Amino acid sequence: MLEARNLRKSFGELVATDDVSLEFGREDGELVFIVGPNGAGKTTFVNLLTGFLSPDEGSIVLDGDDITAMSANERVDAGIARSFQVVKVFEEMTVRENLRTVVLTERGKTWSLFSMADGHDDVERTVDDLLSKFRLDDAADTVAEELPHGDRKLLDVAMSFGLDPDYLLLDEPTSGVSTREKEYVIETVVEVGREAGVTTVTIEHDMDIVTEYADRVVALHQGAVHGVGPPTMLETDDELRRLLLGVGE
Amino acid sequence: MPERVETDGETRYRFLGVEATRREAVALALGVVALFAVPDVTRLSDSLQLGVIHQGLLFGFAAVGLNLLLRHTKLTSFGHAAFFGTGAYATAVLAKYAGLQSVGLLLLGAIAAATVMAALIGALSLRHTGLYFALLTLAFGQLLYAIALGQSALGGSDGMPIRPGPANQPLLLGTTFEPAVYQILTYYLTVAVILVGLFVMYRITQSPFRNALDAIGQERTRARFIGLPVRRYVWAAFVISGVYGGVAGGLYAVVRQYVRPEGTLFFLRSGDILFMAILGGFRTLVGPLIGGVVLIFLQDVGQDVTQYYEFLTGVVLLVLVYGFPRGIVGSFRSGGVVSERLGQLRREPSAVADWARSAVRTTERKAVESLSSLRIILFGVD
Repeated sequence: MLEARNLRKSFGELVATDDVSLEFGREDGELVFIVGPNGAGKTTFVNLLTGFLSPDEGSIVLDGDDITAMSANERVDAGIARSFQVVKVFEEMTVRENLRTVVLTERGKTWSLFSMADGHDDVERTVDDLLSKFRLDDAADTVAEELPHGDRKLLDVAMSFGLDPDYLLLDEPTSGVSTREKEYVIETVVEVGREAGVTTVTIEHDMDIVTEYADRVVALHQGAVHGVGPPTMLETDDELRRLLLGVGE
Repeated sequence: MPERVETDGETRYRFLGVEATRREAVALALGVVALFAVPDVTRLSDSLQLGVIHQGLLFGFAAVGLNLLLRHTKLTSFGHAAFFGTGAYATAVLAKYAGLQSVGLLLLGAIAAATVMAALIGALSLRHTGLYFALLTLAFGQLLYAIALGQSALGGSDGMPIRPGPANQPLLLGTTFEPAVYQILTYYLTVAVILVGLFVMYRITQSPFRNALDAIGQERTRARFIGLPVRRYVWAAFVISGVYGGVAGGLYAVVRQYVRPEGTLFFLRSGDILFMAILGGFRTLVGPLIGGVVLIFLQDVGQDVTQYYEFLTGVVLLVLVYGFPRGIVGSFRSGGVVSERLGQLRREPSAVADWARSAVRTTERKAVESLSSLRIILFGVD
């Protein structure tokens, strides 16, 4: 279980994360969506969990161990992977090379100076597997910077997934993706995550997607937790509807 | 024996883990033959000197090391002469003060010293990237230069001689040789070291370690978030690249039998090493080596022609940046400017006229722009 305990983070006057306590992965493969208006502190919260930022107060606990002081790369080793809102992939590598680099790192093989990067059969098998799971086979030999946006998003998620995480934090995997591709991206993510029993925490703005796929919804507002509940909460909580959609103003 | 492999309908040859197309294999074989033939070729011509090419290869070898950082981690070090100088001075000190005579041991000493120095400078400068990293490497390089200049034990600005053998004679394999023979023997020693060094570097650039360095160079944040301890990897690459500089410096000292701060540690030397990598093509393995030979050769020829020989290398740099950004080797490779143009020429010889027209147009446009800027600067109006 991944827990945030009384996390607090401010940037100058702005309190981006205000005493947030949450738990993820009580059940394996749980699909949690984080919703909230712009500036609610969603990304900051993910940044705190993954070690991109360190909290001013509070702690992050993984399976009972305090990991607040762990560096970003140590957290990855501990089983927490993330993707980025603005795609961050290795632009000059092909899709296959991107995934290979990830899997080599995950298997601890990047200190090998004299083996062939493409000569590790177990790594190659995992890479092929990832390519087909994320439906990127056709783009395998395309250089990342030349990929269409939807595929770039998928690659970003596939790379996080290639780290074989227990917890996957996705920062708007569908942002900037066309409506038609959105379903495709999120379906792939959900399918692959469910199958592997990965607890997925996703920041999402599209309420249709949240309603359709979420096991649990976390709503943030002005850095604090507004509410936690089933996706029906989006229908029943009028205050939340007003915050998210501007309904009823 | 080389093994044939078919990939993507292309025949490639694999030998000792080195994989090449037929064209690359031929180029490689010709390159090795050329390296071995240099002493004979230079005897035939007055304008080519063995010493110049030898020196070019040594600095070029340091540039091969620097290139590991430049090409993969995208870090620009402005202080690589520090490791060249450390190797050279370590050799000199070991020969003079410890009485070491074996060239092998002297080189090992150079490697050890350069490793320690690179580990230290790397640890202190890799906290930063970009401009600050470049400035820190420059600063550490100048620090070493100042130390060499100021220490009388190191000969100060006069430098110090290396005399491994008895009666001030150079010694190789426990034997003394005539200077001319010594020059040729050390040349072949350099060739052997370069071939081994290139092979090792080639294997490194095919390894998972290279993937890690590329990842760091292309998207540092993401590299952290796939679990790479970024600074440790860059540090390792920095040390490896420093070792190449140290070996080159150690050989340089053995060959020249004399080390001076100006020739080995001065910051312009660092600039030269960087220039060599870019001139030869920093996206290639052997480019920096060829860049080394070409640059040292140009400097040597330029010095004969004019005392403003830096003008010549400056012009070469400008032509390079504007016309051939991939460098010498990169331009000849498939996809490079030269190979593209040659292909076009074979298909359609009249293309030359188009290029000439476009070159004239570009020059004309640049001239008009410059004149316009000049008018604005001088008269305030266009």
